[in-house]
Amino acid sequence: MNDFRVLKLLDRLRGVFKRAGVDYEMLRSILQVKLTMDGRRTPTVLGTQKSGQETEGSPLRVQWIYLLLGLMLILFVVPDSNYMLTMSVLFAVVMFMITTTLISDFSSVMLDLRDKNILFSKPVDRRTLNMAKSLHVLIYLVSLTLTLTAPSLVVALFKQGVLFFLIYAVEILLMDGFILVITALLYLLIMRVFDGEKLKDIINYIQIILSIGIAVGYQLVPRLFNMTDLTGSFQPVWWQYFIAPAWFAAPFEVLVGGSRGTEFTVLAVLAVIIPLILLYTYIKLMPLFERSLQKLAEQGAAGKDSGRYPRLLSELLCRDKAEAMFFRFTWAMMRNERDFKLKVYPTVGLSLVLPFIFIFNQVWSSDPAVHTESKAHLFIYLSALLLLTVVQMLRYSASYKGAWIYRTIPLPETAPVYRGMLKAALLRLMLPLFVLESAVFLWLFGARILPDLAAVMLALPLFALICFRVLPPALPFSEKYEAAKQKEFSVSGFVLIFILMGMAGLHYMFTLISPGVYIYLVILAAVNVWAWRAAFPRKGSQSGQIPTLGA
Amino acid sequence: MGLTEEPVISISGLWMNYSDRMVLRGIDLEVYRGQIIGYIGPNGAGKSTTVKIMLGLVEGYTGSVRIFGRDIADGDTAYKRRIGYVPEIAELYDSLTAREYLTFIGELYGMKRNEADAKAERLMGLLNLEKAYDMRIASYSKGMKQKVLLISSMLHDPDILFLDEPLSGLDANSVMVVKEIFASLAAQGKTIFYSSHIMDVVEKISSRIILINGGDIVADGTFAELQEQSREGSLEDIFNQLTGFDKYRDIAGEFVAVLGEGATHE
Repeated sequence: MNDFRVLKLLDRLRGVFKRAGVDYEMLRSILQVKLTMDGRRTPTVLGTQKSGQETEGSPLRVQWIYLLLGLMLILFVVPDSNYMLTMSVLFAVVMFMITTTLISDFSSVMLDLRDKNILFSKPVDRRTLNMAKSLHVLIYLVSLTLTLTAPSLVVALFKQGVLFFLIYAVEILLMDGFILVITALLYLLIMRVFDGEKLKDIINYIQIILSIGIAVGYQLVPRLFNMTDLTGSFQPVWWQYFIAPAWFAAPFEVLVGGSRGTEFTVLAVLAVIIPLILLYTYIKLMPLFERSLQKLAEQGAAGKDSGRYPRLLSELLCRDKAEAMFFRFTWAMMRNERDFKLKVYPTVGLSLVLPFIFIFNQVWSSDPAVHTESKAHLFIYLSALLLLTVVQMLRYSASYKGAWIYRTIPLPETAPVYRGMLKAALLRLMLPLFVLESAVFLWLFGARILPDLAAVMLALPLFALICFRVLPPALPFSEKYEAAKQKEFSVSGFVLIFILMGMAGLHYMFTLISPGVYIYLVILAAVNVWAWRAAFPRKGSQSGQIPTLGA
Repeated sequence: MGLTEEPVISISGLWMNYSDRMVLRGIDLEVYRGQIIGYIGPNGAGKSTTVKIMLGLVEGYTGSVRIFGRDIADGDTAYKRRIGYVPEIAELYDSLTAREYLTFIGELYGMKRNEADAKAERLMGLLNLEKAYDMRIASYSKGMKQKVLLISSMLHDPDILFLDEPLSGLDANSVMVVKEIFASLAAQGKTIFYSSHIMDVVEKISSRIILINGGDIVADGTFAELQEQSREGSLEDIFNQLTGFDKYRDIAGEFVAVLGEGATHE
């Protein structure tokens, strides 16, 4: 266990804590343990990164991306006028980043159930415990915000002067408090109204939003400067009183910019008052929060839709009973396995936006040719990258030990297992995404791309099959997640991306001749039938062997 | 146990209800030093709830719970310093190593870091875990985790031990060691309060057996006393009789019948 720098910093405040009735030594060891455990957690944001190294340290290992975003924020503190607009945008960006990261990456800490049994049964008084918990989240929040805002803070000090810098610094702290409390209250509300399962689902959705946000933000932020000129004057409207970033921007307008409107003063006061009121409420509601946490432990009733729908699909699409069985099994596991969703859902978000990022320029251009001739809609192939992740992740499970079942059941061959697995993955994850994507593409490019979309749809099962064959074979849900770190799939990953690009290229070539798409369609259909047969021969052969269950 | 002696635990009129159902219906109980109490009952009888109330993990009960002569509702958590607890589900911070975890728990109980570390290391060694001391708990087997939990509950030499299925996952040899530890601790005047579903063990090591059913105490006494009361041979039979469960043969018979139903499989 390291002795963290933050703790040494806190040591200086020992007296303050003692006076507040907190057992400082206890507080310190709780925080130390918590920070150590954070260092051993893999962050879910951009979880696809290499996460092998075992550095113990701050909860943040993805800091470079925040630093990068922080550098972009400098642009907002440079202009000398119109603080209301620039600072509103700045705070909106910062608040978005901080909130989504807090929810997706730190929820597990805020909602840790083990705390109750482990810590409450020890002679630790409530005040110390609550303080430790709040400080823990706050340390995280502040370090995150500092990474994000440090560049703009420094620039602001030199460009705008000390007053601006001080307002900025104080407001960052207020904003952290605001975000922390809002998130906690949001959780409290969800826990009061729904069960724990729902809350975990909502956290999953937030993760999707976060990865979309980062991907789109990368593309949008630079463009934003071209589109809006930052000179437009600001007109206060009533609904702006409800927009938090506007509160935080107002003090700059009043104190630095010298505006004297009542609206600005009201907004500026809100920036100080609201976080303080919320903080007070939070402290009052802390016991209620702890009690509601218990709800998370309760098993929510698993949804009932798991029965009929997949059964119908499995009967329609599967050749034999064994295949249908594994189709339903994979379907149910993908639906229920929390860790699978955590790993795959961010990719769902990414696959959803990736095609749009590439067509962005085309769609926004005013050239009418785009809507009649452009082949940019072929970028929809990028959404198939989801299959790459899914096929790769299907082998993992938190309850991988349950895989003994494959060895004990009388299973003559594994082909039905894989067939059922791939079909379930295609139908449950890929198809809804593709349909959604197609709908937007149809709206953007018009009905002329319909045959192309049909071709892509046929290409998806083929690509799923290719993914499966290129990646080393493994039974579904039979390996441990930690193993994912050791096995680097990057080489196979690159190969598969090239294959996908090749498929899109082939499609493009066919579109150059007039009935080409239809020829491509027929070829694809034939290849699909042949490939699925060839990959999973009826009886015997090597693929019939049950691969050794690796741990 | 003279009458003059003050009870270590004294519960009177303890009622507890969760949102929809009554869990405890007026428990009265006095426990003295040196007793090993087997707290048994069917699933959902309220065993864990009783223990959790005494530890301050569950609130919202009515009645009074006094431990070491002080009402636990007075807000002073100091009494927990003299209590050790092994929860039913092996809950611990398993991304820590045993050294980190046990030292931390020791500190929570007010021990010095070095002292806790040294003591934990020796105890781990005695339970054949010296090699695992610096490994993460996540990599442990069920039995190893249970040993860590047991050590964490006794590290600070408490006067009362609350144990929920303390022997689960342990091999036969370890079970013997742990049972012997309990007996020696009780001989020193410590109180052990544990619940289990394994009747043979309860029968052998308890000096007093308390059976609860439906939130009520239905039997309380030594094994010999219970035997006399119910005229049954083993604790298992007594348990069945007192909880009003006599249909096990019928249920088993029906279960087997259901298995044989329907078409035969290939």
